[in-house]
Amino acid sequence: MNAVLRSLAAGGLAALALGMLYACAVTGVGVEGSVGVGYDAGYYEPSGYEYGGWGGGYRVGPGRGGDRRDEHPGGSHTFRSAPASRPTPSIPGRPRGH
Amino acid sequence: MRGTRRRDACLSVVVFFLGLSVAGAAPFELPPLNSPASSEHHAGKMVWADLVTPDLASAERFYGGLLGWTFQTIHSGKSDYAIAVIDGRPVGGLLQKSIPPGEHRQSAWLTFIAVRDIDTAKGVAVAHGAKVVSDTKNYPSRGRQAVLSDPEGAIFAMLDSSSGDAPDYLAGPGEWIWSSLLSKDPDSEAAFYQTVFSYDVFDLASDDGRQHVILSSDDFARASANSLPDDAKTRHPHWLNFIRVDNAAESAAKAAALGGRVLVEPHVDRHGGQVAVVADPSGAPFGLMEWTANDSKTEAK
Repeated sequence: MNAVLRSLAAGGLAALALGMLYACAVTGVGVEGSVGVGYDAGYYEPSGYEYGGWGGGYRVGPGRGGDRRDEHPGGSHTFRSAPASRPTPSIPGRPRGH
Repeated sequence: MRGTRRRDACLSVVVFFLGLSVAGAAPFELPPLNSPASSEHHAGKMVWADLVTPDLASAERFYGGLLGWTFQTIHSGKSDYAIAVIDGRPVGGLLQKSIPPGEHRQSAWLTFIAVRDIDTAKGVAVAHGAKVVSDTKNYPSRGRQAVLSDPEGAIFAMLDSSSGDAPDYLAGPGEWIWSSLLSKDPDSEAAFYQTVFSYDVFDLASDDGRQHVILSSDDFARASANSLPDDAKTRHPHWLNFIRVDNAAESAAKAAALGGRVLVEPHVDRHGGQVAVVADPSGAPFGLMEWTANDSKTEAK
């Protein structure tokens, strides 16, 4: 019985060591960060919160460029506001392939 | 005696290969974002989105029926992941992930924002109040990515794409066209994202008494940061991505017919076109946005 267990342990440990050596050699772990073996980027949000439900006057989309700025750009914001001389940009408009 | 040795040897071989499969499992191969690779880089641009869902088949039926997406499924280990494709271009990923019994979780789309140096960007983000949700992973063909929560808890991902970032074209129907952050304090959140992604920030005049700012890079609007709508107690900060459609009202109705829900009825937004917000059958919210070609400028300055 002990011989069986020893064989199992030896075989398993040898494989683990070889496998880990192979993985590190191929992927450069420690240099670029861990390599994704499975994919775990998916993140569930907590439940119980409300999404959407706002009225038509609430707007979160982009404008067409040159949208009216706040009357006091640069004032009392935590962020650095773009200069008032710069018009508000829009999204890219160049069609694909042009 | 000889039989026992033979059995032991066989067991050792079996365990050896089992161990090898555990320790040396092949990396999860994700296709590149751009094929052929792009030489361009657009830090701050929303370049990818991943849906996490407990029912991949249902999600494929919904998004395929609504947007014409087709899917290339990747099975690897315990992961089932489908690449959504439109006109031959990958537009997003759908990840099957079960929800443990007894837990209540909300299916959601995860927003990926481009960076040039993920270690630096992640370090800056953490230094300014972000938390690492999933540390940097390297998917050789796709690139290096990490998932974080911003100072208010909104989840986002950063991606240093191995194949560069797509040139700045107008999104076609069925492609992501816009991203909005809904937060308790857009001012502070805009400052955070500006610090991490070097955005130019444009504070917009508001007609609804709430704050709306535009986050810009390369002289293009990339996203907006907005005050959460009313009933803040029942809401939490989150990113919401919009897909371009030809007709938001028709698409919203179709989403409902396919098992989704309409969360925000179609209405005219700032650019003059209709937008709507819907949820897929597992509850993941996303937006639908009309955009005519002459609604946006054609060249960056």
